[in-house]
Amino acid sequence: MRRELRAFSASTRLWLRYMAVDRFMLFCAFVQPFFIAVTVMYMLHHQPQFDPVYVVVGSALTGIWSVVLFDGSWAINSERFQGTLELLVGAPSSLYAVIAGKLAGGMAFSVTSMALSYAVGAWLFGYSIVVRDVPAFAVAFVLALIAIGALGVLIAPLGILARSVRQFLTVLEHPIYILGGFLFPVLLLPGWLLPISYALPPYWAAVALHGTSSGELSGVAFAEVCAVLLLSSLACFVLAAPLFRLVLRRARVEGTLSLT
Amino acid sequence: MPAITLDHVRRVFRTSTGVIRRKRKDVVALEDLSLEVGEGELFGLLGPNGAGKTTTVKILTTLLIPTAGRASVLGYDVVRDARQIRPRVGFVFGGERGLYYRVSGRDNLEYFAELYAVEPRRIRVRVDELLDLVGLRDRANERVEGYSRGMKQRLHLARMLLHDPAVLFLDEPTIGLDPIGARELREAVERLHAAGKTIVLTTHYMFEADALCDRIGVINEGKLVALGTPEELKRLVSDKSVVELEVYGVGEEHLARLRALDFVDSVAVERRELRELLRVQTALGERAVPRLMASLERLEVGRVSVREATLEDAYVRLVGKLE
Ligand SMILES: Nc1ncnc2c1ncn2[C@@H]1O[C@H](COP(=O)(O)OP(=O)(O)OP(=O)(O)O)[C@@H](O)[C@H]1O
Ligand SMILES: [Mg+2]
Repeated sequence: MRRELRAFSASTRLWLRYMAVDRFMLFCAFVQPFFIAVTVMYMLHHQPQFDPVYVVVGSALTGIWSVVLFDGSWAINSERFQGTLELLVGAPSSLYAVIAGKLAGGMAFSVTSMALSYAVGAWLFGYSIVVRDVPAFAVAFVLALIAIGALGVLIAPLGILARSVRQFLTVLEHPIYILGGFLFPVLLLPGWLLPISYALPPYWAAVALHGTSSGELSGVAFAEVCAVLLLSSLACFVLAAPLFRLVLRRARVEGTLSLT
Repeated sequence: MPAITLDHVRRVFRTSTGVIRRKRKDVVALEDLSLEVGEGELFGLLGPNGAGKTTTVKILTTLLIPTAGRASVLGYDVVRDARQIRPRVGFVFGGERGLYYRVSGRDNLEYFAELYAVEPRRIRVRVDELLDLVGLRDRANERVEGYSRGMKQRLHLARMLLHDPAVLFLDEPTIGLDPIGARELREAVERLHAAGKTIVLTTHYMFEADALCDRIGVINEGKLVALGTPEELKRLVSDKSVVELEVYGVGEEHLARLRALDFVDSVAVERRELRELLRVQTALGERAVPRLMASLERLEVGRVSVREATLEDAYVRLVGKLE
């Protein structure tokens, strides 16, 4: 376990460093959410019931989901293209820990960059972004990130299972914005879609973050949402383990760890 | 107990070609390979392109599962006990890939030191030691993308040694290195050998195998075609000489005619610009020259020389072609 934690944290650090030295990546990471934030705030600021924190949380969720979906489905293949996958598999640490660490690095990076862009955007428009229930929001924030990250860890082995699976995953990007209730409540959707929303960890992440930032979610209801987030994280982490074993075994049988 | 055992190992790759109508084709990379490498031995694996050298190394480093047969390293089975093997072996595959280009050489080494669970407070010292060993200390903090090919290869060598493994696999480690870099690498391999490591080295360079290896296995088309010390392999051609003829426009019919001559053991062709170099192995020595010329008929022949056969000629004879 200690060995896996070391592999996890070393991978997180490596990828933070990796992204920090890439000017193009820095540009994308900061400029894109900044423009989204500015655009959304500009479009909505005439509306009477506009709540800046709702918009910020919602578009941050779309950003995090995109990063996790993309990083998750490419995490293993990008190592393969670089020729490092064989080195990772040949090392005693588990690929699971390495990939989870890599995704954590990607998330930490994008969350930081988004926080900065929104702070600047809000300052430009003269908004104050107020979180009503700060301690609950902090808890929700950590649990939501873990839940979405856990989904990324599950996506990683799925991403190399088959090309069709990867394509399906890519297609999921935008529907989750809507089904997850990131930018508007899922209650606006047709009722038959709701069960799908309820099955998605990003939906519960959105419920937790919107609810605690507006102060509408507290007490038992909040505890329940936290429990759902924890359980879904656990489920993803547990399900990912046999999937990693499966794809690794298959790659060693088929000879697809390297490109040749 | 031998450090490495291959017991009737077979490896087949299933490839598919064609976009619309997918055709499946099986490529037999290793047909039936059995051999043993002793503890502390420096073993050379030699063979032409596609012979199955890399496949053998990848099976032994747990990166490929054999289609049939069994293989073990330090007594551990490569399929069942991969977890036991991984911390005990180190490997490099020749070439420049397999590094994190946007971070420094030191970052790369420190990262793999973590993955190999090098004791945390030893990492710095160990990484410095290895950077010194491969002569990269003063470039260590630069990004790998700016390294030359040889520097990248030396970085790989350092990575392989981080966890002080007992068994080392070097797949064409000197490929693409300049002569000095290659010699330095060979010296490093010799030192590791002297330090008691078991080493498997694949190479295309005969002299490299000759100079370094305790024993050599020659494989061709997935089969072991010879096994022995460099001296034993040389003995295969000890009474032979080699006639080299420079010719212009040699065809298959000429080669067939030469090979049919009873005093000719083997004929290899090396194609160069505008001409070919024929290497004919024969026990006749100089006396073979007129008869060879005669059977080449009207073909234009340039320089002709006769020399004693070397290990390289033994190799050419075994695999039937030149690199
Ligand atoms: N992943 C793979 N998928 C399909 N075929 C493969 C794969 N790896 C190797 N092969 C095939 O197996 C055979 C042996 O390849 P291998 O790489 O072991 O040869 P090698 O002796 O290392 O050659 P070289 O000197 O060119 O490195 C070749 O025909 C090669 O095309
Ligand atoms: Mg090879």
